[in-house]
Amino acid sequence: MSIDRKLVTKNAYRITKIRNKTALRVRVPGGHLEAKYFQIIQEVAEKYGDGTVHLTTRQGFECPGIDFDQIPQINKMIRPLIESLGLDVDYGDGGYPAAGTRNISACIGNRVCPYANDDTTRIANSLEKAVYPHDFHFKIAVTGCPNDCIKAHMQDFGIICLTEPQYDSKRCITCEACVDNCKKKVTGALSVKNFNIERDIEKCIGCGECILKCPAGAWTRSEEKYYRMVIMGRTGKKNPRLAMPFIKWATEEEITQIIKNTYGFVERYIDTSLPKEHIGYIVDRMGYQVFKKEVLEGITLNPKALVAEHIQWHGYHYKTDMQFNHEGL
Amino acid sequence: MNNPYMPRPYTLIATQKETEIDSTFVFEAKDRFVGGQFMQVSLPGVGEAPISISDFDADTLTMTIRKVGRVTDRLFAMKPGETLYMRGPYGNGFKQAWFKDKDMVVIAGGTGLAPVKNTIDTFISNQAAIKGLQIIVGFKSPKDVLFKDMLHKWQEQVPIILTVDQGDDTWPYKVGLIPSHIKDLDLSDVENKTVILVGPPMMMKFTTLELLRLGFAEENIWVSFERKMSCGIGKCGHCKIDETYVCLEGPVFNYTKAKTLLD
Amino acid sequence: MGYELTQQEMKAYFKTLTKQYRLVGPIREKAKGSFSDTDKIVYGVFEDIEDLVLEEKAFYSPKEFLMPIRETLFHFIDGQIVEPKIDTKPILIFARPCDLNGIRRLDTIFLKNGDIKDAYYERRRQLVKYVMIECREGFDTCFCVSMGSNTYTDYEAAIRFEGDHSLLEVVDSTLVTQDLSRVRKTDFVPEYIKENKVKVEIPPTDKVNKSLFEHPLWKEYTRRCIACGRCNTSCITCSCFTMQDVEVSDDGLLDERRRVWASCHIKGYTDMAGGHGFRKQNGERMRFKTMHKINDYHKRFGEHMCVGCGRCDDVCPEYISFSKCINKLSEIIKEESHE
Repeated sequence: MSIDRKLVTKNAYRITKIRNKTALRVRVPGGHLEAKYFQIIQEVAEKYGDGTVHLTTRQGFECPGIDFDQIPQINKMIRPLIESLGLDVDYGDGGYPAAGTRNISACIGNRVCPYANDDTTRIANSLEKAVYPHDFHFKIAVTGCPNDCIKAHMQDFGIICLTEPQYDSKRCITCEACVDNCKKKVTGALSVKNFNIERDIEKCIGCGECILKCPAGAWTRSEEKYYRMVIMGRTGKKNPRLAMPFIKWATEEEITQIIKNTYGFVERYIDTSLPKEHIGYIVDRMGYQVFKKEVLEGITLNPKALVAEHIQWHGYHYKTDMQFNHEGL
Repeated sequence: MNNPYMPRPYTLIATQKETEIDSTFVFEAKDRFVGGQFMQVSLPGVGEAPISISDFDADTLTMTIRKVGRVTDRLFAMKPGETLYMRGPYGNGFKQAWFKDKDMVVIAGGTGLAPVKNTIDTFISNQAAIKGLQIIVGFKSPKDVLFKDMLHKWQEQVPIILTVDQGDDTWPYKVGLIPSHIKDLDLSDVENKTVILVGPPMMMKFTTLELLRLGFAEENIWVSFERKMSCGIGKCGHCKIDETYVCLEGPVFNYTKAKTLLD
Repeated sequence: MGYELTQQEMKAYFKTLTKQYRLVGPIREKAKGSFSDTDKIVYGVFEDIEDLVLEEKAFYSPKEFLMPIRETLFHFIDGQIVEPKIDTKPILIFARPCDLNGIRRLDTIFLKNGDIKDAYYERRRQLVKYVMIECREGFDTCFCVSMGSNTYTDYEAAIRFEGDHSLLEVVDSTLVTQDLSRVRKTDFVPEYIKENKVKVEIPPTDKVNKSLFEHPLWKEYTRRCIACGRCNTSCITCSCFTMQDVEVSDDGLLDERRRVWASCHIKGYTDMAGGHGFRKQNGERMRFKTMHKINDYHKRFGEHMCVGCGRCDDVCPEYISFSKCINKLSEIIKEESHE
């Protein structure tokens, strides 16, 4: 059998350990889809695959056990799914554009979760349109609040939805529920002065817990929605690490443009001698200041936005940071 | 606006240190009071607090106050000649008519002595109005004793059991909790004796149990309640217990009523 | 006198009234809900009758127009005490019978409990007239019929919103404006809801005894209630307050005394100077509130405090149902009297 491996994988089909068998990968941007599409996935799995479906770590479905020559029929079948994503119809019956930039995943967001500060699926979909399809290996995820259930801190770009709490002292009964909660659960950004609540803007992470706790409506949400973007988190075989905050109190437009600009940055500096170089390693190689300058190019930030002056990523290197022994001492 | 929350200025004319944390404050005042009533004492910008009246005459009002919070902390820094604000008096107080011709026992624990001080004085200075008077006064320790001079004067006139929870080498009086000394009173015709009981919640609880055990009648026991109060006039809700407002119907209650008041 | 008004006539009529009155009713505050991208229905000032929200119950009651959440009692200015002035433009409150009955409970506490009237409440209360919103359906959590607060007759006007042709009854002749001379007269008498989905049986006050106070039921609420106080802040009849004194200027020459809503569920409600407090357990607080609403107040004033508006059920983040609690108490008392 002859297949163009690179083309196939670009098209959301995987090379599997079983010779001559592939697996269809259906990604769901933002992790939320209409239940009716399950029928298509079921049909693909049962008609062409081995009758099973794997739920992927990035919020997709994977139907294994498919013969390579069935790809054209399957691509026709999954057409409604692709359309539901609002993807460029240029793809026609060419299947799912995938690989390169990974599925933009999201926590359940404010369609369901009381803590979420925004509709994470909507943001994921809108980012999808802004960046897809692309060959570069970017991992992006959107989480509704700093609880970070989607693990935005494990991504190249983690977007954390924020609100800027608005305090109306005329409605405050000084019950201190917000203060106690912030102290116990968050960063202790709130304190009482003269029976009013003071918010330390340095400490406030925009989680919105104070708004949820207030029984009198003294705390409400800002009209504007804000985002904190954490960058260059990763797993992998060299240096796993958590993403670090790059910009906070940014707007959706700003974070979108930063991601788009980063594709240009990668374009300029990627080491093409490697099969693929992850963006985090490019930033490591070029230095944060170069990255910062280039991805902020042409963006006029809103007055509230704050950009990290320096970033020191932590994590560990397998090669140098490990000391083990057999005694456990 | 006929504003019941409007405080009036009162001039401090004298202070007397009682203990490390209690002091007596005398104000110029021409209002009419009943012992056991309370005033809402306020310092602008600091706060308002209900404080019981410990004594009064035609020209003065006296309050013995423990330093326990924002208002009282600031009060302790005041000097004679300075002004503070008050409104009141509020509450029923110990009405002398309830005790006419009664064989009285007054039991006070700690700062609970303050609200009954005037009542005891009145009993002593007009002993013909009552049938008899015995007093038990208890404090935590010798250094907590209030009204030392006054207690000595009372001792000369009526039987007093003066006790502290914990004594020291110099303490010449009784030691032990108040309930343990009730049996030492003259308990003849106990069912016809009338008791006034004021003190901290736990002391009141155990003293009442002991009184009842020794044969005192429920309807002959009068107690005074202390609760958080923001208005003193039945609006703020803090002192409400069942359908009763301590500020309106109290703070002095007959035990037959008091026993039904479950917080 | 009754009138039938088209939507346009309604708009015109109430627009005329805004010259004399501040119109207060349930309105939508966009994106002001606690959860993101949600609205909050609150009582607020509106100008266009179309801004009234009738299909949802307001999260808070209209009580804040009679007893503001924070109300300055006076300023101390270098030895002088100055009472603040308030906006004296009269208010037309658009509310359903439950809330109007609720305001009567507030009247009782502020004007009739004890010999002294609360002047701050009174001066606001005197500004208020009622436009009763006819309520024939209620909402899922309402139990006004059980509380006898489904009807109210002491209103200045009553209104039935019926899309294109609303019906209006005007009792107070000062509310009869020129606009009404041009509209169709009709006999309109408001109707009242006759049955709610939720029904409660109030334990008879003479059956409420000490054993009910000590019943293990309250322990359930110690476990469930988080003492957030939403049931109090949303309640039309909760009227408790606490004083706050604030130094406004650093030199101490300008100070403010205000009162602010207090709540029997929220920490510190019973704490006295020196630290002693009562009802540390959340279940005890639930018991205190429940007894006040459906027992104690009745003993003192001859009617129940709770008007069955059901807001406490709507707003509780722990899904504690007050109506359910009342019915549990009745069950307990029935069981006890069988034993």
